[in-house]
Amino acid sequence: MSRQPRAFFALDFGAATTSAALVGHAGGRWRLLAHAAAPSTTDLDALLFGILDRVEQADRELLEFVSARERPRAAALVTDLARLESRSSPPRRIAVLAGSKRQRRRLEEIAARAGWLVVGGSADVDDPLELSRLVLAWDTHAVLLGADSTPAGDEKRHLPMLGALVAAAARRRPELAVVLAGGAAIQESDFSGAGEHDRIPDAVKVSATAGPAEEDPSAVAVGTSAGAPEAAGATPVMTPVGAPSAAPAVEPAPEGPPSKEAAEGTTAGGPSASAATATTAAVAAAAAHASDLEAPAHAAPVEMPAPAGDRHDSVLLAPDAESGQPAGSALQQVLEGLRARSDESRLGIARSVRSLALLLDKSIEVLEVGVDGGLRCRAEAVGPGHRTIVSSHVAMASGSFAPEDLSDEMIDAVSSWSTIAFDRYRLSDRLRDLRSSPWGEADGEGALLRLAAAKAAVQRLVAATPEISQREMPDILIAAGGVWASTPPSVVALAMADLVRRPGVGRLACDQARLLGPMGAIADEEERRKMLKDLVDDVLLPLGSLVLPAGIRQGRSAGRMRVIGGTANSDIDLQPGGIWAVELPPGQTATADMDFRDAVRLGARGRHFSVEVSGGLGGLFVDLRDIPLRLPDRADQKRATWESWQRAMWSEIDE
Amino acid sequence: MSAKARVHGRAATPVTPPELTRIPGRRILVVSPVVQIRIGPGDRVLVSPGQKVTAGMPIAERTVDAEFVDLGRLSGSANGNGKGDGNGGWKDPQQERRRPPTPGKWWVGGDDRRGKNARREGPRRIAGTLLYEINGRWSAAAGERHEKIESPTTGVIMEAANCIGIAMKVTGVAIPAAVAGGQPTRGYLDVPRLVDGELRDTALDMGRSGAIVVAGGRVSAEALTRARAMSIRGMVAGSLGQAELRDLAASEARQRAGLHSMPPFGVLGLDGHQRRPIASPILALLAALAGREVAIITEPPLLVLDVVDVPLPEIPPDWVRVRSGIHAGREGRWLSSAGLHRFRAGIHLEAANVRLGDDLGPTIIALSDLERFIL
Repeated sequence: MSRQPRAFFALDFGAATTSAALVGHAGGRWRLLAHAAAPSTTDLDALLFGILDRVEQADRELLEFVSARERPRAAALVTDLARLESRSSPPRRIAVLAGSKRQRRRLEEIAARAGWLVVGGSADVDDPLELSRLVLAWDTHAVLLGADSTPAGDEKRHLPMLGALVAAAARRRPELAVVLAGGAAIQESDFSGAGEHDRIPDAVKVSATAGPAEEDPSAVAVGTSAGAPEAAGATPVMTPVGAPSAAPAVEPAPEGPPSKEAAEGTTAGGPSASAATATTAAVAAAAAHASDLEAPAHAAPVEMPAPAGDRHDSVLLAPDAESGQPAGSALQQVLEGLRARSDESRLGIARSVRSLALLLDKSIEVLEVGVDGGLRCRAEAVGPGHRTIVSSHVAMASGSFAPEDLSDEMIDAVSSWSTIAFDRYRLSDRLRDLRSSPWGEADGEGALLRLAAAKAAVQRLVAATPEISQREMPDILIAAGGVWASTPPSVVALAMADLVRRPGVGRLACDQARLLGPMGAIADEEERRKMLKDLVDDVLLPLGSLVLPAGIRQGRSAGRMRVIGGTANSDIDLQPGGIWAVELPPGQTATADMDFRDAVRLGARGRHFSVEVSGGLGGLFVDLRDIPLRLPDRADQKRATWESWQRAMWSEIDE
Repeated sequence: MSAKARVHGRAATPVTPPELTRIPGRRILVVSPVVQIRIGPGDRVLVSPGQKVTAGMPIAERTVDAEFVDLGRLSGSANGNGKGDGNGGWKDPQQERRRPPTPGKWWVGGDDRRGKNARREGPRRIAGTLLYEINGRWSAAAGERHEKIESPTTGVIMEAANCIGIAMKVTGVAIPAAVAGGQPTRGYLDVPRLVDGELRDTALDMGRSGAIVVAGGRVSAEALTRARAMSIRGMVAGSLGQAELRDLAASEARQRAGLHSMPPFGVLGLDGHQRRPIASPILALLAALAGREVAIITEPPLLVLDVVDVPLPEIPPDWVRVRSGIHAGREGRWLSSAGLHRFRAGIHLEAANVRLGDDLGPTIIALSDLERFIL
């Protein structure tokens, strides 16, 4: 007779990487027992079997204890243990239409911050034919038609035409999700018949289950609705080949493994609003967003509008582009809910970070970069001693290190971070191949290219989130995402220092086991926090601490720094323009006493500072470079500058 | 590897050693894929769902010079309350003409419609699709120049909608590719002799007119230009650079603007964008298929063979190919797992010992840089 297992798998299904971790309850708390990552094409059971096999070889008794069985068989545990899952949402495209160019740009910016791939047009510039092409293209999954809450003349005169155009497209493509934002809601009456009249009668369509070729799985692998939920018995709907369906499956977020439901293999239902009507969903989302900013963190998680798959034939009425705090956040919330699955990794990371901020009483910022997109989020208490957490996040498709819509500007950005000289076309070819084969050539020149592409992606995220950049240096800065997984810790730390140029002292960490996403899939805030309390040291792999003063004058020694504590006893001459790494192993803390010749900013302004720093795999980083970084204009000199800084942290680069 | 081919019938699937399952598999053939042919406003479909089509059969009509046209009031009910699908699903043209206007419905206007052609040499026929209606007034995407789109392959129509596109389930098998450019096309497969895995531009002559030519590891912009001038229907290469794709797109745009339409031309990159030779099992398959009719499909990138029974190459179960990295394109036999190995720049990756080509000793290669073939 076996007892209830005290272990579960935390799985993060990324676009490029599947990450699996075995978490077990041993020694009175939850612990990370083992983890592994592999290309997303790898067989999951083989990956999980490998993890269990490693644990068994290292500590058989531990595996027996957490699995609550004598002589547990790894193959059986692979299927028996509960799973906590999160997965990234594939990028989807939205067509943004507006009456004026000004409004269109504003809406495009918000849609991009909500994680959509964006195409757009405005009636004052573009031909109605061009606008029709945008909304009728079968790789367009949604349409956002927006106007000011009280549209001015330049917008108002175009709204009837735009409303009729979008309504006609919705009749032609019933699977298209339509969002009417702000003053465009007045056009809702245009959609009264959409989805009921003029739709292609189902009777004349071929059922996806019909036909002998459907029996062959390889046919589905390349097909229009490859792997899409609607392929199973539903009427086929035109979607881009190889791209996600317009209607992602809505899988309820599982309860945490400690819960009874999860232990019994059932799911308790995640944050979804599947039955919500158009108007109520939008209003609920806007209201939830407001409460998200102001309510205590122990409040219920934000209720997201359900993905588009739940509301075919419906029209969402959303706030205008200025609503919310900051402006546009209300509409962003609605669009994000329309795009993302309820168990999406990036939203999970944002939830986990909010829980961690409350748990540790520290400001936390995450920079996550993947193939499908990237995330920047920040959470912190309203003030010292407060239990109220303020959090914000932006998940962008352009935050990908190899974006689908690769523009010349993006290629130039990668080139400007690269230590290797590429011509534009060659770099474009390499980035496109990197997207189709993200694990390819992870060593040598490929590693350098991947690092440059990741930095360019983070740069785009930073540029898109000025509201986060305006805040102080966070207490903890976390690098997340598969792109950092194979990069040496000191290089990841250097990349963070290159990109987050704010004066202050902060800890650097990496979500090496990619647990933040699955932990965010635990719907109950209290339960999630309990789990993270046990796992916090396992979740955050310490890279070190970063000391980043501002206002240092160039040309002469800026002062001295002494690091005292643990095994580190260093006395450093602070030379402007460089970055130094002081060895300070993980788990150790030290005191850094700094005496500057002139007053500098390091949180506060002064000459003498004494700060507590903690160690990590990279150690303590003292960055005396300019804020913002000043680099030579010439490309070859810029590359040489990057290389000199990089070589100091990455001695193996010449191997 | 052995390039021995077996005609008619599928080879027995060899047993894959368990440790090789960690290497990503690459399917050489897919059976009955669903392909898409994209059209836009102003274009109409000439087929309906469930219909069987053969290669060369007209399936859509494209309005080459589509422009926005304000039509005014049309006869029939307003506000889209009419019945019908707007997809060309009406078998009787008279019946279709009588049905009320709806978005997407095919519309014909101009002198031709009214029977007035006195002042012109030929009747002026403006046709296109309806876009939307405001206050009873309809707009359309219409033009004078139309061209037929022929089905590049045989299959069954799954979806067909004016202004949007056609989804078709192919009858037969296809070789998946990574990149495509140009338009869906059809021709006989020509596999010329390759020099060091490449095809010289001078080999592209009028003798290959109507062919889809296998061009080796890489195809240059000059070769694409020359091929189009020689009425070659398409090219298949190991890789296809972004520069070449951009040139091809620009060339197509110029062609569309011209009055004389040329036959569709398509190009496929089997592996991606960076230069790599065609994998030997695929080259063996192409060589065995030389002379047969094949089609290039661009969405998704496929080389379609209309038949199910094709000669399959015999691939040893331990045969692997290097997909990326400094050995990209080379092939060899898996020897053993090398565990976690330290590679250039101090990067640690799971690796394998592979004997590449005629090398005497094994080479350690990251698992993530390898691929194996699945029949």
